Amino acid sequence: MGRRLLIVVLLVGFLAAPGVAGESGRVAVIAHPSRRAELSVDLVSQIYLRRKRFWDDGTAIVPLNLPAGTALRETFTRSVLEQSETRLAEYWNRQYFYGVLPPATLASTQAMIRYVASDPSAIGYAPETEVDDSVRVVLRLE
Amino acid sequence: MRWERPRTRGGRGASCRRALLLAFLLFTCQPAGAFAAEVETEPSAEGPELFAVESPLGPIEYRAGRGLGFGRTGLTIGGFATAAAERLEGGESQGGIDHVNFLVFYDPLPFLHLFTEIEVNDIVNWETGKRGARSDPGTKVERLYADLGWRDFANLRVGKFLTPFGRWNQVLAEPLLWTTSEPLIVEEVFDETQSGAMLWGTLFPRGEALSYAFYATFLDHIAPEREAPPAQYSIGGRLEWTGRSGSSIGASYVAAARDRAEWNHLGGLDALWRPHDRVELSGELLFGEGSHEEGGQWGLYAQAVVETLPSVYLIGRYDRYELPASDRGIDLFTVGAAWVPTYYLRLKADYRFADHKDELAAPGFYASFSVLF
Repeated sequence: MGRRLLIVVLLVGFLAAPGVAGESGRVAVIAHPSRRAELSVDLVSQIYLRRKRFWDDGTAIVPLNLPAGTALRETFTRSVLEQSETRLAEYWNRQYFYGVLPPATLASTQAMIRYVASDPSAIGYAPETEVDDSVRVVLRLE
Repeated sequence: MRWERPRTRGGRGASCRRALLLAFLLFTCQPAGAFAAEVETEPSAEGPELFAVESPLGPIEYRAGRGLGFGRTGLTIGGFATAAAERLEGGESQGGIDHVNFLVFYDPLPFLHLFTEIEVNDIVNWETGKRGARSDPGTKVERLYADLGWRDFANLRVGKFLTPFGRWNQVLAEPLLWTTSEPLIVEEVFDETQSGAMLWGTLFPRGEALSYAFYATFLDHIAPEREAPPAQYSIGGRLEWTGRSGSSIGASYVAAARDRAEWNHLGGLDALWRPHDRVELSGELLFGEGSHEEGGQWGLYAQAVVETLPSVYLIGRYDRYELPASDRGIDLFTVGAAWVPTYYLRLKADYRFADHKDELAAPGFYASFSVLF
């Protein structure tokens, strides 16, 4: 009985761990609080493909990704970019031929939130449950 | 007498478990901010890191197929290389490492992008009828330009750049292409590069991408081809619509003159369609007068690429080219396969069938191995 309870508590604790729970819920696309624009899925897609490179005020956009293989990145890629990783790798090969690299990565959603909160040019994403007032949600993805 | 569990050991075990549980719950239920002090917030480049060393400029790191980045300077050096071999119908063979191309790009400011592609050619080659391998390396500036802009809808490119005519001519690197050989209309009709200025940009109607480019040559040609020097004057433009799936439609136009006496006008249409994630259909059509030879001409190609097994692709292409001022036409069929074990490696083999032998379109077997570095 005690062992069963232990397993249940461990499972509940694991699911409540930061960075894991939110991945099953809504994903928030976040920007610096000074950014007032609401973005559409299409525009976020253009930003993450680095076709749209500037904010409306002329500041260069710095899109940020989670490392390849993370569940949240896969969810984001599927819902926003609507392309497989193979197709995206081909796309980035063609961009590399013009000296354009894919978005830089940050190791965790906490790092993403902290970075976006500190850089008015950055855009990132995180589970909605982890997002606080230090950043502004510009798009919610189901 | 009732048996009692020894208090000492069991009691200590229970306390330990409780303490562990408490510690685990405290750890897992911490708000994200509690770890803030330990969070690494320095972004790193995408791609598998094969080499990294710390420096005062930031980490100098090499990522497979994405180049060597020099910390926070914005400087990256990468490139691509190809080893190729061919055996033509009739028995002639040749092969070797024909060229290695270096891509150097530097983004010192958010609105300035400096780029160059330098080719080291004739590295080592062999061919039937000649003894041993031949090596006569030389260098050539393939592209050299500066991009200036702080709005998506208007940027200025000045220098030597690829002619934005059609699709194929804009990705002239073997690791990006599906076949070893190029379609005839890409090789033979218009100048591969321009030396001048180009106004380019992208608009996003309804979230999709509408790109344009208008260019003119006005500089002395930078490192021109000796065998086929480009037209002295050129002016042209291109419009391209790209959907979210990557499908696109484009229209191109270029007018070229060798001595301002007479302008040749060439138009083109191209499309790429991805009906499925594993299928890519593309084609180009051009008509008018090219910049290499006088006289009307037209040509087209249509290509299908299908991923049959994971990372194995089958390719089929049909080429038709009506030579300038001539009733002679060439029909060419290419069938091939490409294996892409990872995004920066590509092994290709294809066979060209021609309706008749022609110096422009030699039928035979072609193979290559390319790496993006």
